[in-house]
Amino acid sequence: MTKLSQQEVMSLLIQLSVMLILGRLFAEAARKIKQPAVVGEILAGIILGPTILGMINPEWFQGLFPTGTSSLVLDGFVQVAVVMLLFIAGLEVDLHIVLQQGRQAFYTSSLGLIIPFAIGFVFPFFFPVFFGSSDGERHLAYSLFMGTSMAITALPVIARILMDLNIFKSRMGMLVISSAMINDLIGWLIFSVVLGMIGKEQHISIWYTVMLTVGFTVVMLTLGRGLINRGLPWVNRKLAWPGGLLSLSLALCFLAAAFTEYIGIHAIFGAFIVGVALGDSEHLSERAKEIVHQFINNIFAPLFFVAIGLKVNFIANFDLTLTLAIIAIAFAGKIIGSGWGTRLGGFSWRESMAAAFGMNARGAMEIILGLVALENGIINEKVFVSLVIMALVTSMSSGPLMKWMLRREH
Amino acid sequence: MKVIGLAIAFSPTAKAILAEAKRFMDHFKATLILIHVGSHGADEDDKMKELLRVSGLNPASCKVLWRKGDPVKEILRACKEESVDLLLAGALKKENLVNHYLGTVARTIMRKAKCSVLMITNPSLEARPLKNIVVNAEDSPYIEQAIQAACQWAYLQPGGWIHIVRELKLLGLALSANEQCTEEEYAQTKQNMLREETAEVEKMLQHIPHHNLKVNIKMLSGKSGFELARFAERKEADLLVLGAPRRRFSLFDRVFPHDQEYIFNDLPCNVLVIQPRLA
Repeated sequence: MTKLSQQEVMSLLIQLSVMLILGRLFAEAARKIKQPAVVGEILAGIILGPTILGMINPEWFQGLFPTGTSSLVLDGFVQVAVVMLLFIAGLEVDLHIVLQQGRQAFYTSSLGLIIPFAIGFVFPFFFPVFFGSSDGERHLAYSLFMGTSMAITALPVIARILMDLNIFKSRMGMLVISSAMINDLIGWLIFSVVLGMIGKEQHISIWYTVMLTVGFTVVMLTLGRGLINRGLPWVNRKLAWPGGLLSLSLALCFLAAAFTEYIGIHAIFGAFIVGVALGDSEHLSERAKEIVHQFINNIFAPLFFVAIGLKVNFIANFDLTLTLAIIAIAFAGKIIGSGWGTRLGGFSWRESMAAAFGMNARGAMEIILGLVALENGIINEKVFVSLVIMALVTSMSSGPLMKWMLRREH
Repeated sequence: MKVIGLAIAFSPTAKAILAEAKRFMDHFKATLILIHVGSHGADEDDKMKELLRVSGLNPASCKVLWRKGDPVKEILRACKEESVDLLLAGALKKENLVNHYLGTVARTIMRKAKCSVLMITNPSLEARPLKNIVVNAEDSPYIEQAIQAACQWAYLQPGGWIHIVRELKLLGLALSANEQCTEEEYAQTKQNMLREETAEVEKMLQHIPHHNLKVNIKMLSGKSGFELARFAERKEADLLVLGAPRRRFSLFDRVFPHDQEYIFNDLPCNVLVIQPRLA
């Protein structure tokens, strides 16, 4: 069995330490200017990676992040981080709130999903060269992916904005939050199908993938959810708290991730759906949720987002026209779709616009989606860089735009 | 409250339920209408007369409606025809799994009634003091009416507590605090949320007479209906008052329970669902 040398162990530990320190420093800087931590963490990665450090001093960059076994282990960390991030994204989906809002949330989220998806699909489908889709066989998957990437929303960013505005618990706040939850749920479902389409097992038909994905979702959200709900009181009562819950919930997350990977759907989908099923249990206390959140969000999320900057050269792969086009499509889709959907809910058009600006934030989810697509060969590095920039621009602008709209309303 | 309806069957608890109904009738000076769905003959007439006699009810002071057909439909139809303000019925604390999904008479009435409904899980022949009344101040357009009803019922036997429960939505705080707050800011934000929610309840209480009543404003977080039911159990509540939900619940809501479905699933005590009768 290959073993890490002492030098490689040291190198890996230093990498993790530098990534966490710089990630935290920049996240704090972002916090000072009321921006999401992910903005700072991505920037830290860009500075540490080939874009800045690799350009200014390639030897230092190679010294800090040498290619070899330690980089492979770091990549393993990043893979685990993605799975865990999707797990907490699932935990954030509160089916209870979605059901409370009833049909209205469904209508609002449907329009907020269908229209961005359609716009995001149509442009790359009809202009493949401009959008960097040269692979004929994968063109449909590429267009479907672009549609999905436009439809997804960043729940934590929206929650923070609504809390800042003190409207989280209002009718509009709950509608926006529940719509974002439905968008994420369906968005990841579609993305899993897209990943299945370009999976290694080429003989598997799209309908088979759809069936597997939907089947897994339904089973997990009914039977799986019921079993989790019955098992949790026992875990809470008999095992040490929160240790027992923490280790078992993460074990369940990895198990589901491995299972979905085995049946031909991507691992992240299993983690996401298990997160939804677990998060929906009335026996999972808010405190327990918070502990899982803190653990993953403050250790694994920074590692993941800093690692993004290490993987790609953001200057060499920056394409201004493509980036602007993707940003324009992202804004247009969400503003028209979510705005219209909220308007149908009986809100004024200014309130609807405010909700649409909130839903426009793509945040961390977009970046995860982009990285998985990049690793699976759906998109190239140029599109990935544009998507990351779009995610940052939409996340940074949604708060101020929402505030501006609501201020004008009142 | 002018008209009280009572869904009655010749069950072992019928006498106790009738005793409860008589107490409400006397207190609210209301008319009592007994609704029986099932076969009707001389035997049933005799049984009813006997029930009324042992309960101390004058047959002339109440009306008995004999109906045939689907119990839920008939009871709800009778309530509509007779302009019933409050419908009383007995209910099991918990239904078995099959009945839960199919929906029993009592649960279906609670979900579908267009008037207020009181489900009695543990009827008593003798009046019992109301030591703890829990009232939900969330998830309904009739929150103020629910608090008002709780206060009115508390005046029946003063001395007990009214716990007005409000929900603290910690999800938003948890999501946003994760990266945006220091410990102090987090505590401050939570304090502000508590203050705002308390102020909201106090504002509602300004319009509701509650002089001499012991009122406790309680914040809960988690799954609202579930936490409310557990709170009522912890307090050994005698009555849980809820405003009717915004929309009618369906089978889907039983499969994915939320809010009041948690309560209907396992009644923690007697449950009063307030729904002002639509004209």
